Amino acid sequence: MKKFFLNLYNWIDERVKLEDLVNFMGKKYVPVHSRSIWYYFGGVTLFFFIIQVVTGILLLFYYKASADLAFESIQFIMSKVEFGWLVRSIHTWSANLFILAAFIHMFSVYFERSYRKPREITWITGMLMFFLGLGFGFSGYLLPWNELAFFATKVGSDILGAIPLIGEELKIFARGGEDVTGATLSRMFGFHVALFPAIFTVLLTIHLLLVQRQGMSQPMEMVEKEMSEEKKMPFFPNFLLRDLLFWLIVLNVLAILAVFFPSELGHKADPFAPAPEGIKPEWYFLFMFQALKYLPAHVLFIEGEILGILLFGAAGILWLLVPFWDKKTARGQKNKFITYLGIFSVMFIIVFTILGWLT
Amino acid sequence: MKKISISSVILFLLLISNSIQGQNDKCFICHESIGDNASVLFKKDIHFQKNISCSGCHGGNNQSDDMEVAMNPRNGYLGVPKGDQISERCIKCHSNSETMRKYGSKLPTNQIEQIKNSVHWQRSTKGTEHIVQCTTCHNAHGIVSVKNPASPVYSLNIPKTCSTCHNSAVFMHSYNPSLPVDQYQKYITSVHGKLILKGDSKAADCSDCHGAHDIRKATDVKSKVYPTNIPATCSVCHSNTAYMKSYKIPTDQFDKFSISVHGKALLEKNDLNAPACNSCHGNHGATPPGVESISKVCGTCHVLNAELFSGSPHKQAFDKKKYPECETCHKYHDIVTASNELLGVSKDAVCSKCHSEKENRKGYYIGMKMRSLIDSLDAEIKTANALVNDAEQKGMEISDAKFKLRDANQAKLETKTMVHSVDFEKFKEIVSGKGLKTTNSIKDEASAAIDNFYFRRYGLLVSVLIMSILAIALYFYIKSIERGKKKIK
Repeated sequence: MKKFFLNLYNWIDERVKLEDLVNFMGKKYVPVHSRSIWYYFGGVTLFFFIIQVVTGILLLFYYKASADLAFESIQFIMSKVEFGWLVRSIHTWSANLFILAAFIHMFSVYFERSYRKPREITWITGMLMFFLGLGFGFSGYLLPWNELAFFATKVGSDILGAIPLIGEELKIFARGGEDVTGATLSRMFGFHVALFPAIFTVLLTIHLLLVQRQGMSQPMEMVEKEMSEEKKMPFFPNFLLRDLLFWLIVLNVLAILAVFFPSELGHKADPFAPAPEGIKPEWYFLFMFQALKYLPAHVLFIEGEILGILLFGAAGILWLLVPFWDKKTARGQKNKFITYLGIFSVMFIIVFTILGWLT
Repeated sequence: MKKISISSVILFLLLISNSIQGQNDKCFICHESIGDNASVLFKKDIHFQKNISCSGCHGGNNQSDDMEVAMNPRNGYLGVPKGDQISERCIKCHSNSETMRKYGSKLPTNQIEQIKNSVHWQRSTKGTEHIVQCTTCHNAHGIVSVKNPASPVYSLNIPKTCSTCHNSAVFMHSYNPSLPVDQYQKYITSVHGKLILKGDSKAADCSDCHGAHDIRKATDVKSKVYPTNIPATCSVCHSNTAYMKSYKIPTDQFDKFSISVHGKALLEKNDLNAPACNSCHGNHGATPPGVESISKVCGTCHVLNAELFSGSPHKQAFDKKKYPECETCHKYHDIVTASNELLGVSKDAVCSKCHSEKENRKGYYIGMKMRSLIDSLDAEIKTANALVNDAEQKGMEISDAKFKLRDANQAKLETKTMVHSVDFEKFKEIVSGKGLKTTNSIKDEASAAIDNFYFRRYGLLVSVLIMSILAIALYFYIKSIERGKKKIK
């Protein structure tokens, strides 16, 4: 067997010069320090994305994107298709864990200031993938065409409509018309399985290439020092194997969640039925939804909801552009404002998510 | 002698007062002198007796004997009011409580409000006026109190008054071609109609059920004869013990009906398919169905039951003993949902009223076997239901089996129909062929779902175990690499 693999390696090596790649990877090191654990969340996010792609493709074999058939096709997947329930459950749970892992990865990069030069593009591509991830969540939520999804999409797209100037057009574009209908479902399906994955793949390729090319960012206090043998580990095989170990652990957690808390289907969406009580968006939108609820109807001359949306929009852009306005870090100085802003953001998200959950 | 003198005084005063009334009304004096029919009628009119002049409705100057002055439009003379002008003249006083009080009247003053909601207040075919005016029912001259037998709206006269229009196919065709025009003919065959014809003013006339001024379409939920309101409308009289005393009929019909399966469906669930009083008794021709026609009446809705019963051996036996068909087993106003307990030979079962081990034995054994079968189907449905619930509780997708539960319940319902045929073989075919076959299929599917649930749990256990072993092995492998004991080649 060993001989077979060796022959196979040699066969490929003769044609594509694998030696260069092996040499490159052999020289690649990952810094070892007290906060090394955060390095693994990028890989975990990638792992969940891979699971999403695989389970998503499996679901595509049976899913029918039409208002008449979507719900029934999911029902069929869950009851008739062998392990269909498991695939759908894993897809749902993995989607949530993907967003959670992306949140953790984003904040760990932020607090470590890993976005600083020369990794600005890595940060930007990562942030864009994060926004796309939220888009994946929003578009995928409607696909089962059940009651909750229908009304949550209605509320979500209504919020989109409140954006000044372009809101109404954006809402009609997202819905494929004035209201949430079968056209919205087709549109969301298109976003979810074609448009978003295509953009995501491009961004992910750039992101991973940059990570490989630039290596892992070292904490600021370690930059000045030369990495000793104890303070670094080879990327291949040590870090890769540790990554694999981490993936196995999260796969275990995912399996337990998918089996013990399988995703429910609820009732088929009825556009003429009254909205059920307590319609809430997915947990990762909850902090924004809840914060908008606390805003007064009017703040000075502007509507509370519009002000909230503008503030969240501005915060998102500032967050995206942090490598460019955080001059202190770029100069290698400590910037406490960044730390306080990060802590405030984390606290804000946690508190408002809990409030949204409880109310 | 003293009595005669008092009577003479009263008669004299009456004559005096009659001669005083209209004495100053030049309109009346003049029209009476030429023998005008309107003034002849008006002498009996309640308005005349209250000293209301002709000009009260026709306008003009009633103090002038000069026609040019008295009937001058400048003096407000209207002539003969036409169309809505008629009701407007009446409303002028009848909606004004102060005016009415001045004339010592205790009549309500909301008639116009009521009639505005009435079906009669629609525009007429002319489009310029409403269908009815006050005079349509109350007359124009010679209006008397509704308690006066001469009034067209006196209880005994109301059916005739209403039928003036409602019996005319040509007239009714203009407004509602689908509305029958035989209400009066039906009414006079009803118990109510017969009593009215005998002069019993206590009996229900049209206004007792439809209202007087606020008559709405029967399809209007506020109508007194809207299906869900009918029992309450009938019960106004039929639940009044004192009022019904002279008729010697029970007054508990409404109470019984309210707790019946029909009453609950109609009054609690607002199910308009459920029967109201008129569904069995008729509406205009209301009369209790006779013993021989009960099954026909029930059979209008319960078609299959009636058909199966008519072909069963029970039909002849009931006819022979003059038993009312449906009522014998199901009672009448207080009909409850037919439970399994009705069937069989236990103490509460209706079969045992006629069948016993000694008498009519065949029916006794059939009843016993049917009961046993239906009980077994019930038990199987319960078991299947419990399994489906269990599977659902476990989060399994079981909508197919859940849907089949409807088929099982449908089979149970069919047995309740088939029981009227007393044909054991057909009954058994439904229980076994449809019911039990379906429950078995449901139980299989639900059990498979529950087994699948445990398979998932065990599958998870195995996969978690494998992944954990892999993870541990990987951990030790990494450790060994890091200790430099092993090298990747």
